[in-house]
Amino acid sequence: MRYDNPELRERLAAEYVLGTMPPRVRRRFEQLIATDPGLARIVGDWADRLLPLDQAVPATEPPARVWRAIERRIAGDAVLSATPTADFSWLRSLALWRALAAGAGAAIVGLVLYIVVLAGHAPQPTVVAILGGHGGEPGWIAVTGPQSGQVTFAAVAPQPEPTRHDFELWAVAGGPPRSLGLLPQHPGTTATLRMTQLPPRGGVLAVSLEPPGGSATGLPTGTVLYQGKVLTGSP
Amino acid sequence: VKSDERGILAGSDLVLQQLIRASARRDRAAFAALYARTSSKLFAIALRIMRQREWAEDVLQESFVGVWQRAGDYDPARGSAIGWLVTIVRHCAIDQQRRRGRRPEGRSAPEEVLTALAAPDSADSAAGLRALQRCLDELDQQPRRAVLLAYCYGLTREELAARLGVPLGTVKSWLRRSLERLQKCLEG
Repeated sequence: MRYDNPELRERLAAEYVLGTMPPRVRRRFEQLIATDPGLARIVGDWADRLLPLDQAVPATEPPARVWRAIERRIAGDAVLSATPTADFSWLRSLALWRALAAGAGAAIVGLVLYIVVLAGHAPQPTVVAILGGHGGEPGWIAVTGPQSGQVTFAAVAPQPEPTRHDFELWAVAGGPPRSLGLLPQHPGTTATLRMTQLPPRGGVLAVSLEPPGGSATGLPTGTVLYQGKVLTGSP
Repeated sequence: VKSDERGILAGSDLVLQQLIRASARRDRAAFAALYARTSSKLFAIALRIMRQREWAEDVLQESFVGVWQRAGDYDPARGSAIGWLVTIVRHCAIDQQRRRGRRPEGRSAPEEVLTALAAPDSADSAAGLRALQRCLDELDQQPRRAVLLAYCYGLTREELAARLGVPLGTVKSWLRRSLERLQKCLEG
């Protein structure tokens, strides 16, 4: 199907907002929206067009337990805080993500080139770890910065897993794995933590698939889908 | 669409945009404020689709966890903040409804929505409401019912076909034509 036909784009956006798209079609369409700002605008226009239909609904106070449950589920994010900063705008460059999606090997070269080219601009970020999947494709890349003593994790590949899961990052360096928090899932989003939280150089970072909000046991409960060695830092 | 014509919560949309942006920076206080401002409206929208309070609570919870995770995706250039939030909640409700299987028949009457639409509400949102009302009035009765049942009550195309007693293909073409006509009418 061609997605550059204006009428088709309009029709799909309208059906998306109306809610009548079959679930599988909708997931595919959501991936398109994520990479096509023009399409996202058409969707936004439709959402606003039909919004008056919600005016008629009398507001109803939800019970307090709903907010408590939400707070519990987002608590895992406490360690990793997403901090997109100006210095790291290149980490969110769409071109870069497309390059990364195109091929893992070429992508790593591209990333390193990016870092070299931008070294004068950003405070010389170096790659701390590349978290690869079983097929070798990178899921997250960790680089130093934006401030000294910090390390930023950037999601580089769209996750095929259903969104009802979270990806939890673990430090593995002798003894039981230690949770470092939840990783951002959408390509171009980043999360930052302190370098001292990572295992020493040579230690392993692993990413497991966990229920929303992260593992409830404090240990990985799901499959480890990505891992990588810590490449820099004190040995 | 200008912000003052958007209807629901129009005046406060700028505030919501700021709260979403702050939530993307993992600002919990801003996220709590976003919930406080929007949850009663969004809960009502979930409840209209789910019918059962407990199920609507699940939808609200899922939706806000999703908002926390995807706050960075929101871009004001792509439409209002409330429109973005409502779309997340409605899709989440429709998904859960699908998983829970067929809903009981009855109750949901699209005419109620139209009547409520016609009722005078806050002055700032009246223009958007009137325009949509007028354009909905121009649709034929059955296609209009299909649009309203889908949007307000989350009926799938299959459920619409059963409910309105027509083949699936008819529902699809009704929806398609109605949306085209609505767009032309609202932009005309």
